[in-house]
Amino acid sequence: MSLRIDEGSLFGFLGPNGSGKTTTIRVLLGFLRPSEGRASLFGRDCWGAGRQIRDDVGYLPGDLRLYPTWTGDRFLKLFGLIRRRDITTVGRDLAERFSLDMTVPVRKMSRGMRQKLGLLLALAHEPRLLILDEPTASLDPLMQEQLLRHLRALAEKGHTVFFSSHTLSEVERLCDRVAILREGRLVANETLETLRGRARRRFTIRWVHVKDAADIKPPPFLAIDERRNRTWDGSLTGQTPELVRWAATQPIEDLTIGHPDLESLFRRYYEGGGGEADTP
Amino acid sequence: MNRGLIAKSIREAAVVTVMLAAALTLVEGILSFVLPTVMGDFSDTLLKMPFFRTIIQALLGADIGDQLVPQTFVAIAWVHPAVLALVWTQAIVFCTRVPAGEIDRGTIDLLLGLPVSRWQVYIAETVVFLGAGLLLLLMAMIGHRVGILSIAPEDRPGLGTTLVIVVNLYCMFVAVGGLAFMVSSIGYRRGRAIAVVFGILMFSFVLSFLVQLWAPARALAFLSVLNYYQPLATVRTGDWPIGDMLALLAFGTVFWTAGGLWFARRDICTV
Repeated sequence: MSLRIDEGSLFGFLGPNGSGKTTTIRVLLGFLRPSEGRASLFGRDCWGAGRQIRDDVGYLPGDLRLYPTWTGDRFLKLFGLIRRRDITTVGRDLAERFSLDMTVPVRKMSRGMRQKLGLLLALAHEPRLLILDEPTASLDPLMQEQLLRHLRALAEKGHTVFFSSHTLSEVERLCDRVAILREGRLVANETLETLRGRARRRFTIRWVHVKDAADIKPPPFLAIDERRNRTWDGSLTGQTPELVRWAATQPIEDLTIGHPDLESLFRRYYEGGGGEADTP
Repeated sequence: MNRGLIAKSIREAAVVTVMLAAALTLVEGILSFVLPTVMGDFSDTLLKMPFFRTIIQALLGADIGDQLVPQTFVAIAWVHPAVLALVWTQAIVFCTRVPAGEIDRGTIDLLLGLPVSRWQVYIAETVVFLGAGLLLLLMAMIGHRVGILSIAPEDRPGLGTTLVIVVNLYCMFVAVGGLAFMVSSIGYRRGRAIAVVFGILMFSFVLSFLVQLWAPARALAFLSVLNYYQPLATVRTGDWPIGDMLALLAFGTVFWTAGGLWFARRDICTV
């Protein structure tokens, strides 16, 4: 795998469960030694200079576990001491924004509250790089939206966000670039715009007569998934103008063309049909 | 030295340490008070029981002679299984917290996600462990000094003698802690690490009995941690058992260093 992430970008790291996302993160944080090759952040080796690297990194583990007897305030105080910097001001500000009671011990917090606290601890020292492993898990939709807004604002200030997830929709809402991992290999590393351009659009054609729907032979740029009565459902393998031009000559009652269907593109990548794109 | 890591370690270990220190003070005080006064009255009868004599000699690691004198009971108060259990419990419970305990409860990611090296984490734990040991044994010493007020002043061991025993016990605490750090550094499960260290100490304890009961076992006496902790000899002579203390410190240091090296180089996976 060769992966380079530009500063200030919102980078989505996608892959199905077990594809190696968390393992990659653990290598980047110096928890695991690469069996071969080299991992570096900020130009420094992740295994050899892990301590220095993590000074500029905020990390939210996918399977977040916190010390059960500590309160949010205690976390801020002790983590500030460990980081040798005051994180209480930013931390309390974030707690207010996330509506998090910092006086409650972790054992009495709900899963959502714990996730908020984990995010707060990752963000409080305003790191150059944020590594978030499934950060929206256990968060309600309002909080998810607030988090995404906050991450966008951070990226605008030059912070880099590495957003690992197996859910396309949240990566699509946030990120400007996406890498897709399958069985430990990088199968795509593109901007979201490029992927959208590559994704097929769904279409629905309603014919004037049932006979037309049955008799007319589809052109090569249409892949029909289903024919029922007067309707064709499928995906566009060619360009939209081609379809529009062809449709104008046919006895069609209605034509609907959808947005690029990223979901099915990603499914193809996940299942191994999307092709290899092992590019930096 | 990272002050935050020290504060974290103190915060997490304080309750157990204070509880064990209080229990040890109480146990040591009671034993030091009860053994010389109550059991002293039955010493002649007790010595006629071969099993009792063997047990006491096994605990003390030395021949108790023809008479149970107050000094013998003072020494017993320092090797009583309850005292050893409390001291070992503190060492085992504390030293298996990192990394096995952190991995086991899943908090290792949070801890190592901070800008600290594994050696910093390991050393901070060790510093607090050594401090907790000092507190524990200081409290035991206070309990002991209060307990022996029941003994006639001329039979009472001096403060210097008590200090030598306590330092010797501290060296054993360090050795057990070093072993626990090493086992913890290798494993993923704290319960398993505790069981392994406990098993080794039980073997050590049983071996010290075997040595008294079965002559061929004497060749293996050096494997028992109790072979290097013999308060009766200290009570009798008041000498510093320098060789034994150095041996215990050497064991502790070797185990601790091996554990640190292993922890610094191992892959950290959650379980």
